[in-house]
Amino acid sequence: MVRRFILTAAALGLAAPLVAAPLTVRVVDSSGRPVRDAVVTLYPAGGAARSAHAAGRYVISQQNMQFHPFLTIVPVGSDVSFPNYDNTKHHVYSFSPAKKFELKLFAKDQSRTVHFDKTGVVALGCNIHDQMSAFIVVTDSAWTARTNGQGIVTFADAPNAPGRVVVWQPYLRAPGGEVQQAVAATQRSASFQVRLRPPPSSMAMTDY
Amino acid sequence: MRPFRSLSARLTVQFALLFAVAMLAVSAALSSVISGAASREVQGQLQSSGAVYDRLWQQRAQELQNAAQLLAHDFGFRAAVASGDQATMQSALGNAAARLRLRSAFIVTADGKVSTIDPAVSSAEAASLWDPLDDGRLSGVSVLAGRPRQLVAAPIMAPTLIGWVVFASDLDQREMRGLERLSAIPLHAAVIAYGKGRWAEASGSMSALDKGAYDLAQAHVGRPAAFEMEVGGTRSITLAKPLPTFSGGEHAILLLAYPKAQALSDARKLQLALAAVTLLGLLLVAYATWKAAGRITQPLARLDEAAGRLASGEHVQVRVRGEDELARLAASFNEMVGKIAEREQRITQLAFNDVLTGLPNRTMFQQQLDHAFRAAEGNGGLFALHCLDLDQFKVINDTLGHPAGDALLIEAGRRVQHAARGHFVARLGGDEFVVLQVVGDDRNAIDRLAREILETMAQPLTIDGNEFAPSTSIGIAIAPQDGEDGGTLLRNADLALYRAKEAGRGTFAFFEESLNERAQQRRQLESDLRLALERGEFELFYQPLFDLEQNCICSFEALLRWRHPQRGLVGPVEFIPVAEDTGLIVPIGAWALREACARAACWPDNIRVAVNVSAVQFHRGALHETILRALADSGLEPNRLEVEITESIFLEGGETTLRLLHALRTLGVRIALDDFGTGYSSLSYLQSFPFDKLKIDRSFIQNLLTRNGATAIVRAITELAHALGIETTAEGVEETAQLMELRAHGCSSVQGFLFAEPMTAGDVDKLFREDGGTLIQNVA
Repeated sequence: MVRRFILTAAALGLAAPLVAAPLTVRVVDSSGRPVRDAVVTLYPAGGAARSAHAAGRYVISQQNMQFHPFLTIVPVGSDVSFPNYDNTKHHVYSFSPAKKFELKLFAKDQSRTVHFDKTGVVALGCNIHDQMSAFIVVTDSAWTARTNGQGIVTFADAPNAPGRVVVWQPYLRAPGGEVQQAVAATQRSASFQVRLRPPPSSMAMTDY
Repeated sequence: MRPFRSLSARLTVQFALLFAVAMLAVSAALSSVISGAASREVQGQLQSSGAVYDRLWQQRAQELQNAAQLLAHDFGFRAAVASGDQATMQSALGNAAARLRLRSAFIVTADGKVSTIDPAVSSAEAASLWDPLDDGRLSGVSVLAGRPRQLVAAPIMAPTLIGWVVFASDLDQREMRGLERLSAIPLHAAVIAYGKGRWAEASGSMSALDKGAYDLAQAHVGRPAAFEMEVGGTRSITLAKPLPTFSGGEHAILLLAYPKAQALSDARKLQLALAAVTLLGLLLVAYATWKAAGRITQPLARLDEAAGRLASGEHVQVRVRGEDELARLAASFNEMVGKIAEREQRITQLAFNDVLTGLPNRTMFQQQLDHAFRAAEGNGGLFALHCLDLDQFKVINDTLGHPAGDALLIEAGRRVQHAARGHFVARLGGDEFVVLQVVGDDRNAIDRLAREILETMAQPLTIDGNEFAPSTSIGIAIAPQDGEDGGTLLRNADLALYRAKEAGRGTFAFFEESLNERAQQRRQLESDLRLALERGEFELFYQPLFDLEQNCICSFEALLRWRHPQRGLVGPVEFIPVAEDTGLIVPIGAWALREACARAACWPDNIRVAVNVSAVQFHRGALHETILRALADSGLEPNRLEVEITESIFLEGGETTLRLLHALRTLGVRIALDDFGTGYSSLSYLQSFPFDKLKIDRSFIQNLLTRNGATAIVRAITELAHALGIETTAEGVEETAQLMELRAHGCSSVQGFLFAEPMTAGDVDKLFREDGGTLIQNVA
């Protein structure tokens, strides 16, 4: 679904009248290994960002006592439904400032939908099952993507303008869980070295 | 070890010292072992207390952890934290803290904000925990508000980490008491921690640790070995255990202290007991050694004492006990004492008995005599001293040899002892015996005993095949009348003995006072005689010898006279025996020889001088040298000197005498045999030595005209002499008839008053000057 979003964003970029140039962002951890599933967002200066458009439906299911997928990037204003495929009830909540909500005890095959109208990271948990964790990045920038296995994000149609790049990762060790740096107009690449916390053992990041 | 005069003291001290050293060494080693064991035990107890504390610590940590987790999981709490609802957070914290009896609890949010219920802990201080919390520290000691505290944290997940609940437990006295109560030993526990550049101390039961103590604790932290340090003014054995700290750069140490005096009190008691046992052992050893030494030295001391008594002449015996060396020594000592006694007895016997006859000797006789005097003094009794002398013992000894003489003496001793049985008999020496007779009222007993002795002694006996009838003379002195002391009595008995001998031998004589007077006269004579030679009181008279063939004086016989200052001229008969007895005859005779030779040297060459030489001179004087000197000094021709000897010279030392005679003959000196015909007149002498002259004794000449026998003897002598080529001289010719007769018998020369009396040297000179030797011719 995210891939689809990126493809959509790319398609939108091609259609843009601005002169575009690719920007490659690379994220490595403190020992130089590539960090994947870090969310990289480019904010061009002067608010010249292309807004991401809410499109489609986003689903985060509860299955086998886990949220699926673990990380979801949604444009601001999107609705995300939370279907429960488990036999147990779940109590999905978020204390994140971007979206505080609580889906109290809904049973199997019940689904709830939540509207995300503020940007930011929303950390999802289940009050019954501590090990259940998932994140939703609500973004208003069209240049928002997650790093691949090489820790790389490439914005093919990045605007030829100065801006800032923000990197967030669920276990990134920094206040707010994110780091950022400014990029010049001519800058074609940026790299981040981040410190990571070990992820809670119960949380698998392999399946999205 | 010189200072010890007693062997037992020395042994005691030496052994006791040796044992003391050994025991002290053992005791010291034991004491050290006890100390070590006690230290190890204390250490072990401290370590087990440390282990207890570890468990307590973990329990407490777990309890807090559980509580913190419980709180952190609470949905409402998480919602409050996530939404920054301070009031809710504070009340939730306060509630939990109260439940856990904690003073301090706070929340540190993931973005570094702090919410605390303890005003003592500042937000900044709490915020500084963010780093270790973020590093994953969930428990440990940290210094908060200046005190070490045990911190326990739990993350608040919502669901991502939004902060931590932190509980801080004071490590105060209350906490430490819990540990102290659980310990098996009365220890003191305290936690000290280092943080923010200084040491902090919980107000445990220990207080006021100084800087040095912190360093010391730091130096020993984590080591299994305990160390000593000053805790609250008490020297303590301490174990320092590291405690986990919350932040890096902090140190926390649990001190477990055991007051040393208390810890080692049991060991001290043991050591005291050991010291007491050691002391007791030493005393026992000293006592036992002293006793043992006594067992060794007591017999030695007894021997020492016995030896001392032996030295002072006592006959001692030491008791022998056991069979050890000391017993053998004692036995040897006893044996030695016995042998010494035997030897003493033997010495006494030798001292008081005559070896030859076995009779008591002179020494014992003296004692017996003294004893007899004392006894007589007490009871007023009489006792007689018999002095015996074997007549002619000397002759027998000389002729038959000493063994025969000894045999005679032994037999004589036996006989005297037999005859005088019941009386004290002793041999004084030589052939002198004495009998000490205690006399009762019957004085005749003395005579009877003397006679019995004489008779018994006179029994014939055979020695070496020669039969003898030994005769004895006895002199008797009776005490106390004849002498009031032993010396006098013996001397007087001796005088009586001389008298008995004079009386014809084979008899006995009693002492009389006159004998004493005679003896005194004789002693006077002796002393005068000694001075006479020095004073020149001797002079020589010369009596001519007339040669019957040539009818002229051929020789003079030198005759010794003593011109005594008081008594006038003393004849030779009176003083010569005394001179011979005393040996004075030797110098007197020498003088006579020199004087005679000197005189004769002035006479015509054909005139000889004849000098009488005593047997004593022959045997004792250096006669040969004396004659040589007399001849040399005077220049007299040797053949003008005629030495007149008597047969008596042959009674002693026959061979020596002959050698001397021959030596004189070799010089050229003439030898005349005087008084021929009296005495033994053994013809064997004539055969053994070629005399130049025989002088016929005057007794034959005096009887020449009256007794036929005498004429025959004189004729026989002259004929014998003639046959042997020996001249003859007749002595004592006083009548012409005698001269005629002698001439008829062929006598060579004559001498006597008929021709001339002895005259002085001056008269002889005058004779030669005036008459030219014709005087005699006229007479003839």
